[in-house]
Amino acid sequence: MIPLLLMFLAVLATAGRVLGLMLASVVVGWFLSYQAIRSKAFENIYIAAIEVFESVPVISFFPIVLALFVLGVGGPIGVELAADFLVFTAVVWNIWIGEYQAFKTVPREMLEVAQNFRFGLLNRLRYIYIPFSVPRISANLFPSVSDGFFYITVSEVFAVGIHTYRTFGVGTLLDSYIAQSLWTYVVETFIVLGLVIAVVIIGLREFSKRAVAKYTLDTDMPIVRRGRLNLRESIRFTAMSSVNPLNRLAKYNMDRRKRRGTEQDKYYEEPRQKNYGYAWAGAGILIVGLILYGSYRIVTSVSLAEWGTLLRMTPTLLLDLLYDYARVAIITVIAFIFSLFVGYYFAMNSRAEAIGVPAIQGFSAYPVPTYFPFIFLAAVPFLNSIFGQYSSEVFVLFLGFISTFYYVFYSFWMGVKAMPSEYLEIMENLNLGFFQKMRMIIMPSTFPYLISGISSTINSAWGGLMIGEFWPNIAGGRSLEVSHGLMKVIDVATNNGNLAVAAWASLIFGIVVAIYSLVFTRRMMDLARKKYVAEEGIYSA
Amino acid sequence: MGKSTLLRLIGGFLRPSSGEVRLQGKRILRPTPQAVLVHQSIVTFPWMTAIENVMLALKPRRLPRDEARAMALVALETVGLQGFEDLYPKEMSGGMRQRVAVARALVADPQVLLMDEPFAHLDELTAEGLRQDIYNILFNESTPLKSVIMVSHNLTEVMELADVIYVINGSPATIVARVDVSLARPRNPRDPEFDKYLDRLYNYLTPRGRNK
Repeated sequence: MIPLLLMFLAVLATAGRVLGLMLASVVVGWFLSYQAIRSKAFENIYIAAIEVFESVPVISFFPIVLALFVLGVGGPIGVELAADFLVFTAVVWNIWIGEYQAFKTVPREMLEVAQNFRFGLLNRLRYIYIPFSVPRISANLFPSVSDGFFYITVSEVFAVGIHTYRTFGVGTLLDSYIAQSLWTYVVETFIVLGLVIAVVIIGLREFSKRAVAKYTLDTDMPIVRRGRLNLRESIRFTAMSSVNPLNRLAKYNMDRRKRRGTEQDKYYEEPRQKNYGYAWAGAGILIVGLILYGSYRIVTSVSLAEWGTLLRMTPTLLLDLLYDYARVAIITVIAFIFSLFVGYYFAMNSRAEAIGVPAIQGFSAYPVPTYFPFIFLAAVPFLNSIFGQYSSEVFVLFLGFISTFYYVFYSFWMGVKAMPSEYLEIMENLNLGFFQKMRMIIMPSTFPYLISGISSTINSAWGGLMIGEFWPNIAGGRSLEVSHGLMKVIDVATNNGNLAVAAWASLIFGIVVAIYSLVFTRRMMDLARKKYVAEEGIYSA
Repeated sequence: MGKSTLLRLIGGFLRPSSGEVRLQGKRILRPTPQAVLVHQSIVTFPWMTAIENVMLALKPRRLPRDEARAMALVALETVGLQGFEDLYPKEMSGGMRQRVAVARALVADPQVLLMDEPFAHLDELTAEGLRQDIYNILFNESTPLKSVIMVSHNLTEVMELADVIYVINGSPATIVARVDVSLARPRNPRDPEFDKYLDRLYNYLTPRGRNK
């Protein structure tokens, strides 16, 4: 096949996976979100599950994916499903929570119009809920595309023990060219990938512009507007829903439904609707049953001696996790400082913004794992001469930074853009210096955005560590490897085919990260909501 | 209970804790196109053009598209929006948007229109124009409407439009008076009789007046 055609096909296959899975996430999310706003029980389970899964980095799913698809299903379909599943878990949570939040905040007056004209499920979705969710979905598409491309390229080729699994796409093609030292083809593939990503980003920007122009409200209807709402804000929605009139209306409808059939003079009564409660309950029981059965199979498939080894390893694994947290902290601090300066500059300078923001969006969507080996090869002599044995750490931190700074940058930039213009005028009026502005006005008023961006940066930093901490034969016959780190343990165990250790380390990692998220991030979000919502400062004044 | 809650109870959006709402002798147990609510906050859907907003009310009837469009055009013409049917709400003024909402309500062919301070979010000049138009629509013989229940704080507006006025006050709100207006139409706010009615209404709403 003509190499250029092959490159295009490979890039299109990869882009098709990312966009196709995003589309699937959007469509499934509409129905799940609708069910969530109709059933309190489903809502509680749905939101709690998303909250945990979003806070656990996608990469920790890897051993489970391997066990389920590659070893369970097997063959090319198993490998394809493994790659798809990884990307699905990378893109889906943001989109689902965005849709849920949109559905939950449809103005009551709009719903009353639908009630007044007796719309059924499909009409409500088609004419009200789905259009209303479009701006929120479009806001979540950029980070989802970045995450999707990042993971798809590393999940198209992976090794478990002596086996290497491949599925067709740009990641596989690059791997093959690099193995054969076909450097011209590598560069050409990068260019093709860049072109396709540029088209995707331009398309998304155009879609976002149209979505905002057509689907956002600018009427007097009350609506929660906080830019990109974070998942943790779902707590607020749950709290709101327990007291707001919409909930009372919902309760009334539930109550009325129970009484239906006992009243004879229902001239204005609706026809009987089908009750899907049993079907949902059945599906829930089936899923819980499958999870329990899967857990039982996994636990019993590991011998007692192996369990003993795993338990003895646990303190060391926790220490390794501490190393990784230190790395994540450094990456986050650097990303934060970068965002403060560059984000503020872009927000205040429209010319720089017109070029800089799309450039950063394009850069962040370009999958780091594809080009990082070349940066490594170019910089390794220089960094070795300065940092010696610690140069690996520098590479890992740099890899983490370039794969994750985007989130805090983008959130902060949006936060500054969303600041009330009165605040900017006061800053100018008082002739405040840069650091005074930052400390006293900009950082407090963008605090909710910052927390949202920082939590996303932290979650995504794990992906960079997973790739960077153990990268055999990264380039020029060299390997990138750090001395300690839980991500390295998982990498090495997966590479050696020791799935028990990989899964156990992933489980510990998932539990710690979920606890951290629920305890720390949620509190910060609560603080942000209570104290630092700038729009309300203007409104109450 | 407040004025908006009362309208929602009448429209079947909320269930009363005691008592019941009947329309032509039949109980209203849920919202129905027979009693359409026009909101205080102007409700148009920004992703639909004016005519699509109006056609929304005809969706449940599953009419052929051409027929629904023709009916929506008539409704838009009734509220003075002929020629603007392809505009999106964002391209319209507040008064035009509220006209779209009224056209959507009318095209559903309701017996009762429930209007929750429909002019409250408009500037005075626009509100006055729309009030006149609504007046003409409501008293047009071809309108199938049997009744309009409107909530308002604007006593002049109430006097211009209403035959029967229930004055509600306090928290929770209670009916403090019923006033039957026997002035001939069209009513003139400069008419001394009109002023007398206004004084009566003010008296019911002020503590001094209520204690008389």
